[in-house]
Amino acid sequence: MLALIYFIILSVLVVGSALCVLLSKHPLYGALSLVVTMLSLAGIYGLLGSPFVGVVQVMVYAGAVMMLLCFVIMVLNGARDNHTPRFDRVSLFIIPALIVLAVLIAIVLLNARFGFNAGTLRGSVALTSEALFDTSKASAGYFLIFEALGLLLLSAMATAVVLAKKKLGSPENSDSGEGR
Amino acid sequence: MQAIYIQILALILLTIGLATALSRRNMFFVLMGIELSLNAVNLSLVGFAKTLPAAASIAGQIIPLFTIGVAAAEACVGLAVVILLFRNQETVDTDNYSNMKG
Repeated sequence: MLALIYFIILSVLVVGSALCVLLSKHPLYGALSLVVTMLSLAGIYGLLGSPFVGVVQVMVYAGAVMMLLCFVIMVLNGARDNHTPRFDRVSLFIIPALIVLAVLIAIVLLNARFGFNAGTLRGSVALTSEALFDTSKASAGYFLIFEALGLLLLSAMATAVVLAKKKLGSPENSDSGEGR
Repeated sequence: MQAIYIQILALILLTIGLATALSRRNMFFVLMGIELSLNAVNLSLVGFAKTLPAAASIAGQIIPLFTIGVAAAEACVGLAVVILLFRNQETVDTDNYSNMKG
């Protein structure tokens, strides 16, 4: 019962701040609402019994990704004086289509029969890291995917540096701070 | 608390994220909508992992970790592309990126 009350509070926070992202005018307000969304989602992960996923959500999403997004919004400062309307005529067709899609998926979900399995493992840090870094022969090989993910992140960082770097010998160097 | 509540919450979050990504005209809001949709998919994966028996449920909680890592890489490259577009076009409005329109 207490878990249901916590879940309702957290889900109201999630949906409310996600609506703030949809309706906010300045991108920085949207980014800060997105931080609230991700922190509340981390709370829901903890409530579901996956504290490891929740901590990774706080560190990677609410920490690193949103810091990068806020940094780029503040560096570019391109949203200050654009007079772009928030929604236009195309949005009138997108929103009903998305509502129809959501209703269709909801019909499928409500007709499915599933419930929480009592014998399921709780994703504690010890259990998750044991399954993730199990290098024995009988393991599922998640550590190989983990290493590949490290390579992917390294190459993404190198790509971002190469893309955002100014060309050498370009005449203007008024703004700085694109390297990360 | 039932398992269907998690899926309904994930569905609402996915719809709001897709609406943000498709209907807003600002480049930053498109990226934020994509992040929101990825979060909804993560929540749905964790919710479904709780309905599985013992050994399979731990796999369902490891896959969101990889999703979060790939989303971080996507945000990194996407923001670099936004910086490049802003330097070339001096705008973050997606309607102005119509150079290749025939």
